[in-house]
Amino acid sequence: MSKRKFNLYFVPALVNEPITYVLVKDFDLKFNILRAEVVEKGGQLLIEVDGKPAQITKGVAYLQDMGVKVEELNEFVTKDEERCTNCGMCVSICPADAIEMDRDTWKVIFHLEKCIACGLCISSCPPRAMKLKT
Amino acid sequence: MKRTYEEINAKIKRGDAVVLTAEEAIRLVEDQGIERATKEVDVVTTGTFGAMCSSGAFINFGHAEPPIRMSKVWLNGVPAYTGLAAVDAYIGATEEREGDGMDYGGAHVIESLIAGEAVHLRATGRGTDCYPRRDIDTYISLKSVNQAYMYNPRNAYQNYGVATNSSEKALFTYMGKLLPHYGNATYSSAGQLSPLLKDPKLRSIGMGTRIFLGGGIGYVAWEGTQFKTNIPYRNGVPSSAGRTLAVIGDLRGMSTEYVRALNFHGYGLSMAVGIGVPIPILDQDMMANAARADEDIFAPVLDYAIQSRNRRPMMEVSYAQLRSGTVELFGKKVKTSSLSSYYKARLIAERLKRMIDDKEFELNAPVVPLPEERAQRPLEVCSMDEVL
Repeated sequence: MSKRKFNLYFVPALVNEPITYVLVKDFDLKFNILRAEVVEKGGQLLIEVDGKPAQITKGVAYLQDMGVKVEELNEFVTKDEERCTNCGMCVSICPADAIEMDRDTWKVIFHLEKCIACGLCISSCPPRAMKLKT
Repeated sequence: MKRTYEEINAKIKRGDAVVLTAEEAIRLVEDQGIERATKEVDVVTTGTFGAMCSSGAFINFGHAEPPIRMSKVWLNGVPAYTGLAAVDAYIGATEEREGDGMDYGGAHVIESLIAGEAVHLRATGRGTDCYPRRDIDTYISLKSVNQAYMYNPRNAYQNYGVATNSSEKALFTYMGKLLPHYGNATYSSAGQLSPLLKDPKLRSIGMGTRIFLGGGIGYVAWEGTQFKTNIPYRNGVPSSAGRTLAVIGDLRGMSTEYVRALNFHGYGLSMAVGIGVPIPILDQDMMANAARADEDIFAPVLDYAIQSRNRRPMMEVSYAQLRSGTVELFGKKVKTSSLSSYYKARLIAERLKRMIDDKEFELNAPVVPLPEERAQRPLEVCSMDEVL
């Protein structure tokens, strides 16, 4: 079993397709919706998929066949260690508990695997150490 | 048990002064009691690394050929104040670059100078008989200028409020982003490491006190702006914002490790300044204060949704609670964030300790003590007669 995160982009015509249902039923994938939004250009869904590696690959292929743009999310936010002062402003802002204060060293630890790519830490970081991965 | 500055400095010179950081002093007093700790320890070092908006630097650029009396100055596009002599200017930390919003400003210029980088200087003048030049476009660095010293009118706040937000929308403040419905609480003081909390009545901190400033050596210049003593106390320590320091120190010798430009989204710019003050253990009372721990130091919680200078504290919380990561507000567990870096505060206390151990830093008695009583005045909208 493995876990991967994907950003799915839908054109308006696809918004009514029950694609998440198909992912569960036909590919036996568990998924967690981390973020969802609908804008003029269509919809965007950030999901974490949990399942057999081969099934995940097949599920992604299905989505692409349907016309969904699929983008795997590896590293969205990075922490510039040089710039970070370890204040911890981001700790209470992060909705995913991906940023933690180590209470022995008083250093800020960023758990990339928990990051849901919301970007809230980027704008709230006073020394601008949290950055968009480019 | 009494100890003098002269005795402490003699021990520093001999290399046998006992110097502890405030954290170490807390543990020692817990283990051995106040009396033994007083006998043993000569100096306790403190540290803080927080956003200190009231900061900036004076620079003398030197005279150009032909000379100019600068009446407008920009450093990397950031306006500096130059209503002074011909080539003197003051660059304030919170001043923003013209034209591009809140991303870059005076604090970044100061950080660049300390980093040893070149900074673009543009200046214009009226042109006079003695200063005929009307404009100049060049580069400066810490190597090229005459004087460049930080003069910060208000730093090192003795305690500060905890910010939270009762409203339905997020607030963007100098205390960071405050999430709606008490979504978080932010605080600023380094608590048990913070300089002015470890000598609450400033018996040893006054004009001329030598301090660690931004990685180099600086001095207390004056009482800081908004210095006040009419404040509540709890366990012998101020439990709200109280005294402040105006500090001065050469940019040369400072390090970007201890001076950092900050950007508060939706609010503006600030600068994190690292300050450490050595507390001489002159007697048992000094030791008792220097060893006060986070459990005994409290701060008021303020609702920043109330946009008034008359915010009443909702409650008091200890720094131990704040540092635990959550505080309870109205039965709700609220996540906390510090705006100042405890990591850096600790680093500064350790660095200052090492400087004293290495005989690079001696203590001195204040030239003049700071005010014993001072109330902070508000600004009223009034007539010429009423103000007198």
